[in-house]
Amino acid sequence: MRLAAYSAAAVAVAVACVWGGTALWDTVVPGDLHLNTRAAMDAFDPATVDEAAEFERVMRWLFIASQVVLVAVLAVYVKVGPRFQRESAAGPIGTGFLLGMMGIALVWLIQLPFGLIEIWWARKKDATDVGYIDYVLGDFFGLAGEALFLCLLLLIVMALARLLRGAWWVPGVAVLAGLFTLLAWGSPYLVPGLEKPSPQLQADARPLAKKQGVADVPVRIEDVHEWTEQPNAYAFGMGKTRRIVLWNTLSDEFPRREVRSVVSHEFGHLQHDHIAKQIGWFALFALPAAFIVTVLTRRRGGLGDPRAIPLALFVLVVLNLLASPLTSGASRRYEAEADWSALEATRDPRAMVALHRRFTAEALSDPDPPGWYHWMFDSHPSGAERVAMAKAWRARHR
Amino acid sequence: MDHLSIAPEKPAQLFERAPLRPGDQVRTLNYDDLHRWRVSVGFRFFMAIPHLIWLSIWGGGMFLISPILWIVTLVKGEPPEGLRDVYAMFIRYSIHVYAFLYLAANPFPGFLGRPRTYPIEVDIPPGGKQNRWGVGVRLFLALPAFFLMTSIVGFGGGGGGGNSSGSGGDPVTTTLSISGGAVATVAFFGWFACLARGRMPQGFRDLAVWGLGYSAQTYAYFFLLTSRYPNSDPALAPVAPLPPHPIRMRMTDELRRNRWTVGFRIILLMPHYIWFFLWSVVALLASIVTWLVTLILGRTPRPLHNFLSAYVRYASHLFAFANLGGGPFPGFVGAPGTYPVDMEIDEPERQNRWSVLFRGILALPALFVYSALSGVAGFASIGAWFYSLVKGRAPEGLRNLIDYVARYGAQVFSYLLFVTPRYPYSGPADYVK
Repeated sequence: MRLAAYSAAAVAVAVACVWGGTALWDTVVPGDLHLNTRAAMDAFDPATVDEAAEFERVMRWLFIASQVVLVAVLAVYVKVGPRFQRESAAGPIGTGFLLGMMGIALVWLIQLPFGLIEIWWARKKDATDVGYIDYVLGDFFGLAGEALFLCLLLLIVMALARLLRGAWWVPGVAVLAGLFTLLAWGSPYLVPGLEKPSPQLQADARPLAKKQGVADVPVRIEDVHEWTEQPNAYAFGMGKTRRIVLWNTLSDEFPRREVRSVVSHEFGHLQHDHIAKQIGWFALFALPAAFIVTVLTRRRGGLGDPRAIPLALFVLVVLNLLASPLTSGASRRYEAEADWSALEATRDPRAMVALHRRFTAEALSDPDPPGWYHWMFDSHPSGAERVAMAKAWRARHR
Repeated sequence: MDHLSIAPEKPAQLFERAPLRPGDQVRTLNYDDLHRWRVSVGFRFFMAIPHLIWLSIWGGGMFLISPILWIVTLVKGEPPEGLRDVYAMFIRYSIHVYAFLYLAANPFPGFLGRPRTYPIEVDIPPGGKQNRWGVGVRLFLALPAFFLMTSIVGFGGGGGGGNSSGSGGDPVTTTLSISGGAVATVAFFGWFACLARGRMPQGFRDLAVWGLGYSAQTYAYFFLLTSRYPNSDPALAPVAPLPPHPIRMRMTDELRRNRWTVGFRIILLMPHYIWFFLWSVVALLASIVTWLVTLILGRTPRPLHNFLSAYVRYASHLFAFANLGGGPFPGFVGAPGTYPVDMEIDEPERQNRWSVLFRGILALPALFVYSALSGVAGFASIGAWFYSLVKGRAPEGLRNLIDYVARYGAQVFSYLLFVTPRYPYSGPADYVK
């Protein structure tokens, strides 16, 4: 009976995922667009490309090593983690908090050396001027934030699991998706101190926003000079809280046409509802993941039992790694869609090419990373792909 | 360690104490009877001025010649006898002066720090051989004890006359630096109590005796009179037993600490602090309701009493865990009997309506004392953190100190939130053996 129920649930989840994934996979980028990345490499200075490739090669291997260590530590934690129950005077959910937080704290500790080597390497290559102590402190505060977030998740999951036992994941995923929607909506309120842009940037942004159907979205500037010189921009919020943010390392120091290109790219994310679609991807991922975790943790009493938390953490991290090609692929498609949207709005492919040449030079971002790594982990199209898209757009609009 | 009980019938009992041996801890004795002469209290600071001047001069001299003491001790392996006696007299004298200034005792002290002449007394063990490495780095070893002493007593710590102006035992400077030390804080409020009642509150006096005893240990260690490290354990203080109180600590902690949960304690505290904040907001609203209802009924309704008791209990569990006074990760609901540092809270009892009406004002002195003691526990927890991380167990003295503050905090907030009409007892007597 139970097997039949689980089988039916598994089929339902699989159907829902395939249907949802197909719907979310579509973008407005023409399917027949041919990207000649080899020709696009001509746009980059060979010496810069070599330097960026050398820089990113080390960073890639550090990342891979840290992921291997992450899985190894959590595998050991599955075995030893439940011993921390002795250190708890709390109830089952509170003890779950303890086991969950200790798990991510140990992972943080083991991964810290990799982060420090990354900083050392980036400083050596002038890609950052973040100090080691600043890095450790920042990372530690990040861990504190993660611990809080994990406790919130555990509170929801464990409470539902204690209430509904094996069926918790159906309402659980809905509640978690709701929570992520709330966070996505409220996230602009969590970044205080954003400033209005210069009148010139406002004047540049207004027609683009109108053209891309997001006329009500404001542009904001974030002062980041204290902790980085790297350029960046992002879009966040939902509904009335939507806005795009440019770091002042970009808005103050990049040429006007390139800033327009970035602004339009970020508007593109909002134009095509990428944040809502990412929540959709989360739900699609969470549904089978929650189901698998539920099945695998049954022997440890299910997710309502704190003994199951180390195993649940391990399974989730492994599933996340396994799903990385899919989630990274979806992310790359949305970035490409935002690029395409920017090209349509600005009609300035030269600016986009110049922008990605600059990114390669200043952020040492490899324009042509190894295919396997790009496929598995990169959330953005490579520099070569983005330049190739700009050139393809120009070829279509000649 | 043996120590004198409170207010013996004959001060001569002082002379019956077993003599200390080389290497023993500095011993504090207390035969103060709590009685205070109001006139002397009123003019306490002015009366202390000659002492403070003399203490500054003497203390300055002691600090100036301390390098000579250090070098000779380093060469000989023990402090030279004559010089040692002068330092012992100086420490004894400074404790007499600060006990007088901080209202821990009544009589005007003598100027020479003669032994067995004052109700708050310190016995300094005879000289003996000391490890030269320990002597060589004594300044650095003494630093943590100095930090803790400063938080307990205030700057100057009752030992170094050269710094007497900083601690401010007088009401004026104490007002300005009221959070400068727990002993200075109780002295400030004790001054008003003594003027009104002609008697020092026992809890205040005992807190001062414990603090001054610790400062005597610290200075004796720093000035090489003993190689024994200062021990802040309230169990070693010669204080009165804890009087009956509706809020009592029940301690079953075994000192064992898991190094991992010690190392990541700040991270583990995150969800508790968020929860504590949310609960505090609700408790504040509940306390307003409780205030009105208790004012009308003369008794706190049981549901509100239970809710606020659970809040107080949870806060004390959290305090103990945060400061290494307790080992396990605490629960979130303040359930009784679930934590090794637990608070037993009696049933609600009838409350005086006047006391209820002015509870916020009446609780102010206790809140100030608690604030100062929290600072002490904060310093203690830093030491306890390093010690526990290395040894896998909490140092008993610091653990007892931290949990004494947790108990006092529970009594303060129980009083403030109408859980009990009984005033908090500030004396560090939870562990009197």
